[in-house]
Amino acid sequence: MRKRFGAVQAVDGVDLELHPGEIHALVGENGAGKSTLAAIAYGAVRADEGSVDANGVVGLVHQHFKLIDRLRVWENVLLNREPKRGWTIDVAAARERVRTLASTYGLAVDPDAVVETLPVGIKQRVELLRELDREPSVLLLDEPTAALAPSEIASFFTTIGDLAKRGTAILVVTHKLAEVIAYSQRVTVMRAGRVIASHLTSETSADAIAREMVGGEVPALAARAATTVAPLLEVRALSARSATSALANATFDVRAGEIVGVAGIEGNGQTALADALAGVVPFTGELIYEGAPLHAGDTPASRLARGIRVIPQDRRHEALVLDWNVRDNVVLGRQQSLAIARYGDAAREVIERFDVRPADPNAVVAQLSGGNQQKIVVGRTLTSAPKLVVAYQPTRGIDIGAAALVQSRLIEARNAGAGVLLISFELDEIFACADRVLVIANGTFVGSFDRASIDRGRIGALMAGHA
Amino acid sequence: MIAALRKGALRDVVVVIVVVFGVGSIAMLLAHVSPLDGFGALFDGAFGTPEEVAETLVQATNLLFPALGIAIAFRAGLFNIGAEGQLILGGFAAGWLGAQFPLPPYLAVPMVLLAGALAGGAWGAIPGFLRARFGANEVIATLMLNVIAVLLTTYLVTGPLQQGGGGAAETAALPKAAQIPDLIALAADPHFTLAYLLTPFVVAIVLAFVLWRVLARTVFGYELRAAGEAPEAARRAGIDLGRTAFVAMALSGAIAGLGGATIVSGGLHRFNTGLSPGYGFIAIAVALVGNLDPRWIIVASIAFGMLQSGGIAMQAEAGVPREVVTLVTGLVIIALAGRRVVANRRST
Repeated sequence: MRKRFGAVQAVDGVDLELHPGEIHALVGENGAGKSTLAAIAYGAVRADEGSVDANGVVGLVHQHFKLIDRLRVWENVLLNREPKRGWTIDVAAARERVRTLASTYGLAVDPDAVVETLPVGIKQRVELLRELDREPSVLLLDEPTAALAPSEIASFFTTIGDLAKRGTAILVVTHKLAEVIAYSQRVTVMRAGRVIASHLTSETSADAIAREMVGGEVPALAARAATTVAPLLEVRALSARSATSALANATFDVRAGEIVGVAGIEGNGQTALADALAGVVPFTGELIYEGAPLHAGDTPASRLARGIRVIPQDRRHEALVLDWNVRDNVVLGRQQSLAIARYGDAAREVIERFDVRPADPNAVVAQLSGGNQQKIVVGRTLTSAPKLVVAYQPTRGIDIGAAALVQSRLIEARNAGAGVLLISFELDEIFACADRVLVIANGTFVGSFDRASIDRGRIGALMAGHA
Repeated sequence: MIAALRKGALRDVVVVIVVVFGVGSIAMLLAHVSPLDGFGALFDGAFGTPEEVAETLVQATNLLFPALGIAIAFRAGLFNIGAEGQLILGGFAAGWLGAQFPLPPYLAVPMVLLAGALAGGAWGAIPGFLRARFGANEVIATLMLNVIAVLLTTYLVTGPLQQGGGGAAETAALPKAAQIPDLIALAADPHFTLAYLLTPFVVAIVLAFVLWRVLARTVFGYELRAAGEAPEAARRAGIDLGRTAFVAMALSGAIAGLGGATIVSGGLHRFNTGLSPGYGFIAIAVALVGNLDPRWIIVASIAFGMLQSGGIAMQAEAGVPREVVTLVTGLVIIALAGRRVVANRRST
């Protein structure tokens, strides 16, 4: 298989075989060509060269959900395959079909829920159900666990494993090597459009795969320097609400020179917390920042002016102008304070320090991989001398190398005296970076741990809502 | 979101040419006229004599002002369908104030043009304010305000402010001091003076280049484009979306209103109800064909200006109904909209 996009040879002579009953993991850095390969196999992208032979229907679950937010679950699942009664849709039959499908595969979901009201984890179930309704013999999953909580990941792979046992061939495109080792039978590593290696999973290890992916040793995280902590942000009885998330009565501090991790399953109030700090939703309670209050009616601009910088969860909609180039995206948020003549310098600084590829300020951001897009967002945040950084899922859906770089830069910002609030659904990320860990469940803070006293089991139980 | 409107601009030009000549030919054949004769009459009518070239450029100018205004609003993500009303109100303010206060030329001309820009700007600011304050849909608001502008000015010049001779629905004639020179006068009497730098055509082209620079190279332009392309990202980057919507709509209206004032000061020399044969609507097509880029909008306005001025000659000389031009203009919009839907599907 070969496919070229402009100057980029995305897929460069790849052969891949999937077998019924097998979970096949496809791993590789950002831009290695994994998603393109999956899209070609599905038929969404036409290859320049090569062919796909499939024994039956091929299904694909995208990394970025392709759901119609305003429609109900059953409408999305059965779109264009609705059961008919004469000229009309047989709604009762449709509902029942979705309900049966959901219980068959253990993917509990309310057929009548409107998709836009659902948390990400449930939306993904809807995506999966939509493909399963077509009874695929080959199922392609692009970064399926990027937005799932630890407990959801295990049950997700149980579902996928059952599916494989019934004879479906499954391809999982992923960065998460722990999942590759735990759940796949075969693993193929891609780099720069080519297949570097293909193993039985039982015959390799996460370290070996990681080295094959990056073509060398995996970069270590930046060292944590000793810092003198100083008061920065005091949160007192904070309550806030955003579209799909609510936070009640949160009280905690973030000090300069430390990383405070917020551990929790998605949809437990994290979005409301980040949005209240960004100044995009109102709040009640008190936020004292550098000794002076932040007000509920503050604009995002006033928060930026005081050195509060938020890395939003959804880089594509909340952080980037996808059709613009790297330079104009790097200065977004600083367009008032930075002279126009210096936009290019700012872009080059981010490209250099954050290893953005291609290293071209004029490259259009939509054409960059997710990891490189995220490097731009994190890079522009951390190069603008922030005092308080709120990093919400800063490594969502990006590869090991890019994630290590982002985490290292966050640690360096802490070393340099910034206060960092790291909100993440991935416990490993929090344990690797945080000085203190707060646990959030059902919109309230339910636990606090110092780095020295982190108890993984206890934190997991608190996240799941067990006191 | 705005990028979707602007994709595949170059191929659009091909689409426009195919539609104009293809559909135009079919319509002419249906009217039992050879397309060769019909288009011959069109070109001849648009460019045959210096006067006809001047008329083409005047029509282009009358489309260029509202098209530039529309482009500014569209680039901010706001579908300003109200350029027609903004242009009419601008023309009315210019005509009425200009006839009301006799001033020396160096004051009268700026006053007339400023009055037009302010009136159009105010008419654009209303939907901008409603959008910023209440989230009201600007498409509906601007569409409705068109109707209000037409009826209000018609009422004023047939009622309390009727100043035309013999009960004509118009304001009193502008004094010489409030008039700016127009190209038709230049074509009839080819003595170029420095005053011609103030002809609407020159003013509009200078304005187009200024707007192009403002969009591309100023913080204001940057924020306006960010709000149009990615509103949520813009909001989180500290851009006040409400303020941007208000300013963009006011500016958009002001440019259309200035266009109305130049028609009054440069051509009609008074306001009357026949000021615009729908310039503000045709200008939507001009702005889209010009890819919402002020430089290309200049080119598009000249092409549409040619259709406007040549259409009359086509009817007179070749017997092709002038409605063919209207038909072709409408189909261009539909063809472009269709092409964009297709381009969008392919890109995602």
